[in-house]
Amino acid sequence: MASIAGWVTLGATLIVVLVALFVAANARETIPGGPAAIYGVRKYYAGALLLGLLVALGASLPHTPYSALLETEPSMRVDVIGRMWSWEIHQAGDASGGPSPLVLPVGKIVEFAVTSADVNHGFGLYDDGGHLLAQAQAMPGYVNHLRHVFDLPGRYHVVCLEYCGLVHHAMLTELAVQ
Amino acid sequence: MSTDVRVDDSHSTEPAVRTVMVLWFGTILAVFAVMIIFGITMRLEQSQTLEVGIPMFYALMTMHGLGMVGATFSAGLAMIWFITARYAKPNVALMRFSWGVFTLGALGLLAATLVGRFGAGWYALYPLPFQNPTWPQWSIGVAIISLMLLGVSWLVCQLDILRALAGRYGASKLLGWQYFSAAKPTEELPPSVLIVVICAAAGILGTLAGAATFVIYLFKWLAPQTNFDVLLLKNTMFLFGHVIVNLAMYCGIAAVYEFLPSYTKRSWSLNRVTVLAWNTTLIFILGAYFHHLYVDFAQPTALQYAGQILSYLSAIPATAVTVFGVGSQVFGSGLRWTFTPLAFFLGILGWVIGGIAAVVDSTIAINQIFHNTLWVPAHFHTYFLVGFVFIMLGFAHRFVASNAERLATGSLWAMVVGGYGFVLMFYLGGLSSVPRRYANYGALSFGSIAETGAHLALGGAVFAVIFLLGIIGFYVSLAKGRTTTPALK
Repeated sequence: MASIAGWVTLGATLIVVLVALFVAANARETIPGGPAAIYGVRKYYAGALLLGLLVALGASLPHTPYSALLETEPSMRVDVIGRMWSWEIHQAGDASGGPSPLVLPVGKIVEFAVTSADVNHGFGLYDDGGHLLAQAQAMPGYVNHLRHVFDLPGRYHVVCLEYCGLVHHAMLTELAVQ
Repeated sequence: MSTDVRVDDSHSTEPAVRTVMVLWFGTILAVFAVMIIFGITMRLEQSQTLEVGIPMFYALMTMHGLGMVGATFSAGLAMIWFITARYAKPNVALMRFSWGVFTLGALGLLAATLVGRFGAGWYALYPLPFQNPTWPQWSIGVAIISLMLLGVSWLVCQLDILRALAGRYGASKLLGWQYFSAAKPTEELPPSVLIVVICAAAGILGTLAGAATFVIYLFKWLAPQTNFDVLLLKNTMFLFGHVIVNLAMYCGIAAVYEFLPSYTKRSWSLNRVTVLAWNTTLIFILGAYFHHLYVDFAQPTALQYAGQILSYLSAIPATAVTVFGVGSQVFGSGLRWTFTPLAFFLGILGWVIGGIAAVVDSTIAINQIFHNTLWVPAHFHTYFLVGFVFIMLGFAHRFVASNAERLATGSLWAMVVGGYGFVLMFYLGGLSSVPRRYANYGALSFGSIAETGAHLALGGAVFAVIFLLGIIGFYVSLAKGRTTTPALK
């Protein structure tokens, strides 16, 4: 997804820069009717832009975290509590946190119920290669439900993605997926 | 029936008007340079080239954000106030009062952050300012009161702009709805004035949202046992913050509409499409802030979808009208690329490029992996640093009628190189999932995220230094090249 976003941004930027260079290169000469020539294509440009945005809306809106993976019950529910500056993560109902490390299932839906004990935090889920996979805010007084399927076993990392004070940059923990 | 736009520079060239504009712009340009230095310091700390310490880093981060947002929005307001003075008579004494209150607020914020190490971030999400034991109580109160002072300053300015323009054109004409009637308007409304009205009206609503938020913050500071809803205050804070950040840019657009035609020698008048575009912008700008809350799943889902739709739609009037308007002004006009039109043109280009990245980020599916990564500062630095700031400098150059063209233009190109290099480091960081607002990346010991973050931070600092040299060169050009003849007409 990040690479698609990057290429779309780069492509659109290059088009804009090329058009700007064309306009700038043709600024010095006086071309009678210049504005009319440009204004003539405005409605086509606006129409194409509107169409492009509608297509992008149609393509992207079905893929939101609010509707994703709702058709099946999750295999595991996990409670996540952020607090300055650590994460408390345990299987739902196991308030003690348990002495043994939590192991999440691979290839199955896991639902994280994310909240906070103090201020806003950001529950950012990274794989071991440093790629951000999904995120939800951890807010005091609210529970945000985030569903995710881990495609591969291994080590994953929870990183705070909402600024929460002086140790924000070190508010991390690990998750094991098997 | 007259269709004469009737610019009247008899008021805008009065010494009192010029003096208050010099006060505003002198303060803003000074704040801007200092905030760049704070930004460079932050990037050096992140690259571990320099060590200022964690509390100071987050205090600088808070001040940098508040200072830049405050300075750019104030610059925008000063420009639209000046445009207002070309058509109507805003109150100079009120504008001087507004400057005094702003300056007091700015000094308060400097004290709260640099002395008190208040470091809750520029949008200080509730309840972080009150929940952190690391900054003293007095710094919280000073920060809140200082922000309220900024709000008072902006509100006074915005209300007086609307009062003055309503006195000149009639309140019922200010949104340009008369262009939808069958009869030709009896008096033409300049397009820049319509944008000024949209900015002031939306700005008042945004400032009031901020006022309500900060009154609650003040209450919480005075009565710590009270508690308020976190999600509601996140909404009001982003309504305030998003609106003023966007409006700063639109104020710059008003300046382009106002002054670019004097270089291209082409008229720029209102029509129904332009009126419709800017009226819808007023609605979009107030609703697009929902895209800041995509990862707050407790937010009503309908508002999440509305956030993406409104963010997307806001791109249409802005680009279809303004960008085409600028293009048709410039194309084949015989324009000489002197500093101000060049800075305006480059500023519009930066705005569009930053806007592309913003629209991409406002896509819910993409925001899941870009939210609070370096992609976010990438896009807003693009439309500020190489967008709005260029327009602001173009205005300043014109305002002092500077004849130091070569120095100013050379400085501008240094800022183009420094600015685009600087934001490129942010974009690469966003694509590499590097989080924003980290004092350092040392704890992220997986993948290559720590090394990538540190290297890009150093690269960003180098480019920011180039930008700083450019801005210093530009300031020197203002000082050396200013003339006594106002080149405002």
